Amino acid sequence: MPSVSPSQLVPAIPDASRAKKLQLLGILSGFAAGAWLGAAEAPTKLVSIGISPMVISLIMVIGVFLARWSLPALILGTSSVRADVRRAPHLVIWALLAGCLWAVANTLTIFAIRDIGLSIAFPLWNSNSLLGILWGFLFFNELRQAGWRRRAGVLSGALVMCVGATLLAIASSAGHGPAVHSLHGVWAALGAGILWGTMYIPYRKAYLTGMNPLSFVTFFSFGELGMMSVLSVGSLGLAALWQELLSARGVIFWLMLGGFVWVIGDIFQQYAAKYVGISRGIPLSNSNQLWGLLWGILVFGELHGRSSSIYLEVIGGSLLMMLGVAAIAFSSASGQEQTRWKDAAIRESDRYGVSADFVEARMDGRQLLGELKPSRSTLDWLLVVFATSVFVIFAAMARVPKISLHWAPAAFLTAVLFLLLAVCGLALWRTTRFN
Amino acid sequence: MNATEPDPNARGWWTTILTDIHFWVPVAVLIGGLLLLRFIR
Repeated sequence: MPSVSPSQLVPAIPDASRAKKLQLLGILSGFAAGAWLGAAEAPTKLVSIGISPMVISLIMVIGVFLARWSLPALILGTSSVRADVRRAPHLVIWALLAGCLWAVANTLTIFAIRDIGLSIAFPLWNSNSLLGILWGFLFFNELRQAGWRRRAGVLSGALVMCVGATLLAIASSAGHGPAVHSLHGVWAALGAGILWGTMYIPYRKAYLTGMNPLSFVTFFSFGELGMMSVLSVGSLGLAALWQELLSARGVIFWLMLGGFVWVIGDIFQQYAAKYVGISRGIPLSNSNQLWGLLWGILVFGELHGRSSSIYLEVIGGSLLMMLGVAAIAFSSASGQEQTRWKDAAIRESDRYGVSADFVEARMDGRQLLGELKPSRSTLDWLLVVFATSVFVIFAAMARVPKISLHWAPAAFLTAVLFLLLAVCGLALWRTTRFN
Repeated sequence: MNATEPDPNARGWWTTILTDIHFWVPVAVLIGGLLLLRFIR
């Protein structure tokens, strides 16, 4: 396929107000993602009641798998997924690879939570935003021709986040269980950050080639469930895994629910990565650190009884990280930088033979002229009914875990989650119809 | 060619993916992550 110059594909800024609207939508999606991703980690606290981290991760991934198929089926229908795959079949491989990265990272986070606690592990694995900025700059023309203010905003934000993460790592080593476990926990959290930071390469690749986030996540789920199954069977063996699953049946619902909540956050994160790029989208969705801290301290009573200096270190470190996130959020991409994004999109569409006008339309959050509107079929409704039934069955078996929980803050945080879901979901629907 | 269909002259998927540096970075990180998981367990 012959190369096309940027000017042939699309004018530098086809519609400045549309571009600005999409940027704002990306920022809003990033914040909504943060809230939902933060809430999703709360069920992993169940690791304290003696279930293997592998089993916890596997159960969460099963919940994720169900959600990743049922939600896209409910929102757009699987016909839209099939159409996307016909246009860019290579992205299935990228989605599978991203899913494998997610599964390993998620397992590492559970080890990290077990060893150093949720409120400390969170900011450490959120170092993935630094890596996201690096990959975005190196591979996808992000922050190119962005101007010194925007670059400084993103880079200084990243630096401040580093300082915050270091402060939290120091707090983690002070009087939290055996030193060897603290160190393992820190490694696990940082490792998860690297895996998740790199996972955004396939994400960005997909969105620069026009794939719908809802299509991407469906194939992503095969990678994560496949990898997680291999890890669980490999480490425990089939018989032991089955026994663990049987003994954990009372909490399976809560863990699957955690996976489900995570998928909602991830879908918002995908839209953030699509509309503001990974160098900004990841730090924004990493505001989940603050939400994780709120859930950890208010609902689970983490840090209770610890010295005030530890509180100060954790809160100070978290605030620094949030300051960094804010600096990045206010450094949105200029028109010139967006033109460079389009150059990267052309490179991808050339390389993989995807139609340029399709890529252009999807980057602009709209359907191609003459493209059929996605519709739901019987299969879609069957998927939704099946996923719901599985959740209902495990909900019937569920028991409230015997850990100390504060229900009033949990109810308040849940209400805020649903408010963000409604606001951001409506904004996405009105602006892009989820394209 | 339909504007929404992939270019039939595009190189085969696998060749294109395997010669794409963007592919090997996540693969290397995935291997590193698996080794780390083995170490901390």
